[in-house]
Amino acid sequence: MIERRRFLRAAGVTLALPGLECFSAGVAGAAAVEPVRRMILISNNLGVLPKLFFPQSTGRNYELSPYLTGLAEHRSDFTVFSGLSHPAVEGGHSTENCFLTGARGPTKSGFRNTISLDQFAAERLGQSTRFPTLNLGVNIDKANRSLSWTRDGVLLPAEDTAPALFRKMFIQGEPEAVARQLRRLEERGSILDTLLEDAGQFSHRLGRDDRQRLDQYLTSVREVEGRLQMMREWEQRPKPLARQAAPPDIQDKKLFFAKLELMLSMAQLAIESDSTRVVTLMVDAFATPVFKLRENQDTTDGYHNLSHHGQAAEKLQQLENAERQQMALLAKLLRSLANARENGQRLLDTTMVLYGSNMGDANTHDNSNLPILLAGGGFRHGKHIAFGHDNNTPLANMFVAMLQRLGVDCESFASSTGRLKELEFV
Amino acid sequence: MTRRELLAAPAVAPAQTSEQHSRLNGLRKLMGPRLAFAASLLLASLAPAAVSVPAVCSACHNAKTAMGGLDLGTLPDRLDDRSVRERWIRVHDRVERAEMPPKGVTFPEPQRTAWLRQLSQAIHEADRAQAMEFGRGPLRRLNRDEYQQNLRDVLELPALDIRDILPEDREGHRFNKAAETLDMSRVQLTAYLDAAEAALRHAMVVETSPRSAVHYRAVGTALFPEKVTFGEREAMFFAKNNKAIETKQLDVYKDDPSIEMALFRSAHWPYYGYPRKFVAKWPGEYRVRFSARAVLHVENYRVQPASRPVPMTFRARKPSGPDVSGDVRATGGVMDVLPEARVFETTILLRELETFEYSPLGLPVPLARNVDGGAPTYRYPPFPSGGQPGIAIQWLEVDGPLPPSEWPPASHRVLFGDLGINPSPARPAAEARRLLRRFADRAAHEPVPASALVKYEQLVQTRLDRGAGFTEAMLAGYKAFLSSPHFLYLREPENSDDHFSIAARLSHFLTNTRSDEQLRELARSRTLRDPANLRRQAERLIAGPGFERFIANFTDYWLNLRYIRRDDPDIRLYPEYRFDNYLVESMERETRAFVTAMFRDNLPSRAIVSTDFIYANDRLASHYGLLPLNGSAMRKVMLPPQSPLGGLLTQAAILKVTANGATTSPVIRGAWIMERLIGDPPPPPPTGVPSVEPDIRGAKTIRQLLTMHTKNATCAGCHERFDPVGLALENFDILGGWRTRYRGLEQGEPVTGIDRAGHDFSYTLAEAVNASGKLLDGRTFADVLQLKTFLAANPRQLARNLLHQLTIYSTGVPVRFSDRAEMEAILDANARTGFRVRDLVQSLVASRIFLGKAGFDKP
Repeated sequence: MIERRRFLRAAGVTLALPGLECFSAGVAGAAAVEPVRRMILISNNLGVLPKLFFPQSTGRNYELSPYLTGLAEHRSDFTVFSGLSHPAVEGGHSTENCFLTGARGPTKSGFRNTISLDQFAAERLGQSTRFPTLNLGVNIDKANRSLSWTRDGVLLPAEDTAPALFRKMFIQGEPEAVARQLRRLEERGSILDTLLEDAGQFSHRLGRDDRQRLDQYLTSVREVEGRLQMMREWEQRPKPLARQAAPPDIQDKKLFFAKLELMLSMAQLAIESDSTRVVTLMVDAFATPVFKLRENQDTTDGYHNLSHHGQAAEKLQQLENAERQQMALLAKLLRSLANARENGQRLLDTTMVLYGSNMGDANTHDNSNLPILLAGGGFRHGKHIAFGHDNNTPLANMFVAMLQRLGVDCESFASSTGRLKELEFV
Repeated sequence: MTRRELLAAPAVAPAQTSEQHSRLNGLRKLMGPRLAFAASLLLASLAPAAVSVPAVCSACHNAKTAMGGLDLGTLPDRLDDRSVRERWIRVHDRVERAEMPPKGVTFPEPQRTAWLRQLSQAIHEADRAQAMEFGRGPLRRLNRDEYQQNLRDVLELPALDIRDILPEDREGHRFNKAAETLDMSRVQLTAYLDAAEAALRHAMVVETSPRSAVHYRAVGTALFPEKVTFGEREAMFFAKNNKAIETKQLDVYKDDPSIEMALFRSAHWPYYGYPRKFVAKWPGEYRVRFSARAVLHVENYRVQPASRPVPMTFRARKPSGPDVSGDVRATGGVMDVLPEARVFETTILLRELETFEYSPLGLPVPLARNVDGGAPTYRYPPFPSGGQPGIAIQWLEVDGPLPPSEWPPASHRVLFGDLGINPSPARPAAEARRLLRRFADRAAHEPVPASALVKYEQLVQTRLDRGAGFTEAMLAGYKAFLSSPHFLYLREPENSDDHFSIAARLSHFLTNTRSDEQLRELARSRTLRDPANLRRQAERLIAGPGFERFIANFTDYWLNLRYIRRDDPDIRLYPEYRFDNYLVESMERETRAFVTAMFRDNLPSRAIVSTDFIYANDRLASHYGLLPLNGSAMRKVMLPPQSPLGGLLTQAAILKVTANGATTSPVIRGAWIMERLIGDPPPPPPTGVPSVEPDIRGAKTIRQLLTMHTKNATCAGCHERFDPVGLALENFDILGGWRTRYRGLEQGEPVTGIDRAGHDFSYTLAEAVNASGKLLDGRTFADVLQLKTFLAANPRQLARNLLHQLTIYSTGVPVRFSDRAEMEAILDANARTGFRVRDLVQSLVASRIFLGKAGFDKP
């Protein structure tokens, strides 16, 4: 664990920031006018205890709830929402893949997921960073869960080992290796051309349903080609420098908080180094077995079983402890984003941090009244914005506001019915 | 009133309830009798008559009430639209299963039967027409297991390990074989390109001769990393003349060949033990020979010959301190060490810089405690009477990496023929054409037309033109081909002459890989479709070694065996199961052995729930309370009369994957069994209702917690379909051990002791288990044995379910509505012989379901 502490202490502090400074300056010289905007999208798929999360009073002078007291120092930097959810996204845990997509009816036959907020944003923003998005996970069941989905409902897997992310972001190839990589990309380019031509021809012999499957293939080939072009350009630019050693790898699912803390710091590193502008992080509490609650104490049950507490005091106590610790880690992320500067501005002011869940109440598998907290990013915060408890407002309305804040020109996303006007730009 | 109600009204007029009657009268008043009649005639001519809605249904499912969210009036009748068809199929099925109309409302006969027949006919025709026009299912992408196995076979690299480069495949209809969920994305495609590249690098060699093998031999104290004991002498010591050697004496004896290394604990954290200073310099296969005997550790650190064999295996891993880090993989198979010393030989697979540790199975692990943050100290439970079993090793040798039988190896020659190492042919273009053609014939699922191959030739030529060497240029061509639809997708058979598609489907079904040479030969000679050939080939594949892959993959998904290690037992309640990996491994092997027998021994379908034998080894015999067995090998064991065991239903692996490690839930087990083994899946759970969590204090039994499910009519509507099956299994604990009382942590009779690893334990024996119940049809049972006789009495349903599972597995498409008649015909044909499993496979393979359009033409 010492290794992890050392990494976390170093993270975001000794990081040399040529990335941040020169890249943001490099973006069309627009930095002075309109700052580069980013977002970190976090979901814990089992949510939180609603009673302890939601404040009782609303508006600007609301009284912090027990959980939000953990974020008291950031009070003016976040907004807490109640009464938001995705319409017709119900069916207990199966909604977890819809948190950023809002696709209706995940338990219905013939369901197909749709494009997620991060992919939608990346698609519109174009590749102005090395990675269009980075998808992170904690204890994630990669095959079946992700916050990130393509337009045709294909899962984009999350990365859950920190060293792999670190290598991706910071480890510079040798010049020879770069040249080799460029040759490889060029070769791959001709391979893709071949596949495109051959598959196009192949498709003429097929029936309708087959052709639809093959279209998916052809789309993929074209997409890889597009990315390849970007990669060629990016390959020739140096990666940002990180002064600290690579982070440790935490495999043990029991070390849930250590993993979460590490991943949050990786998310921040990704943002600070301008490796990407959009980060997703799925905290797969569902796949988290019995975990370490504190020194010398493990939970009595896996996270999922705890979440079905049935009001049993023993389980509630452990859940509350686990959730408070997560709030503390979130507070830590906000603090360090607030301490980081870009062009003299707090990084937090240009980075939206969404923390939420597809579960309103995991105990009863309720997918309405989702716990949603949005921090930073250039909104007028400091409020509890409450919508109807029995008549929720689409969460996608908030996504539209976020997209617009990000600079994406759009009026709607997924099941939105407009932009959440209560959320004002600074 | 909607037009559909209008339509339907006359059809059921004789059976109208008074309410419906008055509605119809109301309509007549509103429109006048003649107009209403005219409207019904007009609409009847527009809509398929069979999709009319009886008034008994529309009384509730109308625009106004839309009971259950269903308004039959607005349900479109375009049966050629798949989603519409699927909704009508649900309507059909719920009425057919008498779930609708609900209790208290009657759908009188013979109208009900007539209406069902009409609707079924209409759906069948529409579905069949679609299947004929567009094929029974779309192209299916290879999943990552298939991709790896295909590459292993194409490249002749049996140990190729590239599967993890590819993203895990999504599940569809419970399998990793569903055409619809095997999507393609840029992430997926990039991974295929990367995996193909990695595989090709493995296949080719640049060295002019194989790496020379290293010989290693350990005797005496070199058999262990350090010249000490580890985990104190209860876990391991060096012995001479059957007595432990004092640590300070070890330097004296050192390599004395008469020294034995004796191990009494399983390899598990924090235990480690591997031969000193051996690491694999190169990845590959290594031959290990060693001499060992099974011993008992008796008082005063003495050993004596054991009375029973002790199983062991090796575990490949990087050498490290006691903290196991990174991968640890069992390799070399399980060997039973006998009381008489004997020489064993096995082959293990090591990655670069790995060593391998001794891994005796089924022995306890030591409990390490760091008292006050100090060095670990160990604690042991009292020895079993007679002594603590273990193994004593006299010497060990390693040779490897084992060289291939020829050089360059076969995999290199797949790519470069006889051009040798670093080929640089005089006429590269011509050679490239020749090699590509050869490779494509080998790799593709069917002959590749020259017009397609020319694209790959051009690619190689482009690479050559841009200055790549011959090897690199060829690899680019191969890489492209291995990422192309020729290799990545499987096609539905198009017609009876489409032998290659049939071959690929058959081989991916029964061996999870491409068709082998025999199948290809039959496809080339266009005789595979011949029923006798098809039958012989299926028999051959089932009997062959590749069938193990079918068993592994099919049981991984059908029975969820891939999750067998998911939930560790809660050691507060089940201290006896602490770290018992050997038990979990054995139960996994039991179920795979049993399913293998279902197919190879052609067992009747009732074997799913009931047999008079099981497969067991030493560990399972004691787990199940049978007469003791010696050795780790699975063997068929006849059961005593009235044994609750037998059949898949009560196998430990099934009972483990349906529990959560701490408690059993009859709801989850019942629903799982009904869906997977019986084929009567429960509807999805209602939203907003918390699940019932068992009480681990011991105060209440699960039956008491579930009373709501029988008392409340809404709950009972579904739960009475599956809860009883789960309740019957309550005598089986979380790992399938037999229990007559529940365990708790607070209330009940306390039980305390020290477990196998030296931990104190304390739990309670609480309420007695009551495994009785009542089935939906009213039949009652006292225990699981009686339930089994009920379930076994419907072998047709068990066979139908198995066929459904095999259909999605083999064709990538679940049973379609238009397959149903064929399905019943298969069942009819197999009824006389008790629905034998291999016969069912043969019937499926010969059917239109498996053969797609090829099944319609006369061969």
